[in-house]
Amino acid sequence: MDQKKPEYFRPALIAGAVAGVLSGLPIVSAGNCLCCLWIVGGAAMAVKLLAKNTVGVLTAGDGAIVGALTGIVAAVVDTIVKIPLQPYNMALARRIIDKFSEFGQEMPASLDGFLNGSSNPLTPGWFLLGLFFSAALFTVMGVLGGIIGVSLFGRKNPQASPPAAPLPPPPGPADAA
Amino acid sequence: MSRPGISRTVLTVFLWTAAGTAIWLFLIFLAPALAARGSAGAARLFYALFAPICHQIPGRCLTFHGHPLAVCGRCLGIYTGFAAGLILYPFIRGFSKIELPSIRVFLPMTLPMALDGAAGLLGIWASPIAFRFATGAVWGTVLPFYFVTGLSDLFLARRRRAAGLALEKIRANDVK
Repeated sequence: MDQKKPEYFRPALIAGAVAGVLSGLPIVSAGNCLCCLWIVGGAAMAVKLLAKNTVGVLTAGDGAIVGALTGIVAAVVDTIVKIPLQPYNMALARRIIDKFSEFGQEMPASLDGFLNGSSNPLTPGWFLLGLFFSAALFTVMGVLGGIIGVSLFGRKNPQASPPAAPLPPPPGPADAA
Repeated sequence: MSRPGISRTVLTVFLWTAAGTAIWLFLIFLAPALAARGSAGAARLFYALFAPICHQIPGRCLTFHGHPLAVCGRCLGIYTGFAAGLILYPFIRGFSKIELPSIRVFLPMTLPMALDGAAGLLGIWASPIAFRFATGAVWGTVLPFYFVTGLSDLFLARRRRAAGLALEKIRANDVK
């Protein structure tokens, strides 16, 4: 039971910040269209950092924890980065949609309304709801990325947790006295 | 690694993941269904739900009731593949083993989607939706073998830790 727990937060903070910035920047954020590439990749990167600073074997559970933390950090950073870029992102999305419309693709009314609605200033309620959604989605993707990261970068035996070390036998009567 | 007593944990994680996947897929189809019924506000909410993880470009989405799904063809392929992987999970891995897939399985299943996605992003070629769906589905199939294994391992480790602490506490009380 004396096995030291890995230090999850630091790698998650670094990798989550990188993943969040990449997810928030226009054009670069398109990488997330490939199944959350930045989030899954960021969580895998966090595992690599964790493996570098951990003496023991990393387990799939360790990957899940550091991946989840990376996802949460990335969601917060992504939301913050997107605030000043919101008008630009909406204009870009509008341009892409218009481009597709030129090729005969109709844009659904719901998306049209969403883009128009999103050009209004962000209310705190929508901000928190968006942060909650992003955090939930990025956490799930981060867990996945973290576990994949263990299989890629975990050292020695990237399988499941090793069985717990057997505890010493209970004290006998002489010890109790 | 096969140990007695882990079946229940793996089965529980598996069932929760299956339920979550079913809800996830349902929501992807719910957005266009609501749009088709004229519930634009509710549809917008469900489209917005998937916006952080998918570009949702209508030309790259399959349609349902004349409206694009809430995710693109590739993402739908990944989630459908994930569901297919969950169906295969009990037959391939079973519930009594906790073992991550080999990298030799992961890389070949990732390569088609990675190449197709990279070529698309670099503007080398634009693949049809069916191809995107197929490559996404191939990759998605391997993912439950990571997800269920990782979460099961996490819960088992926590349970072992809690049991160990409880035992130490009992022994400490006995010594007193």
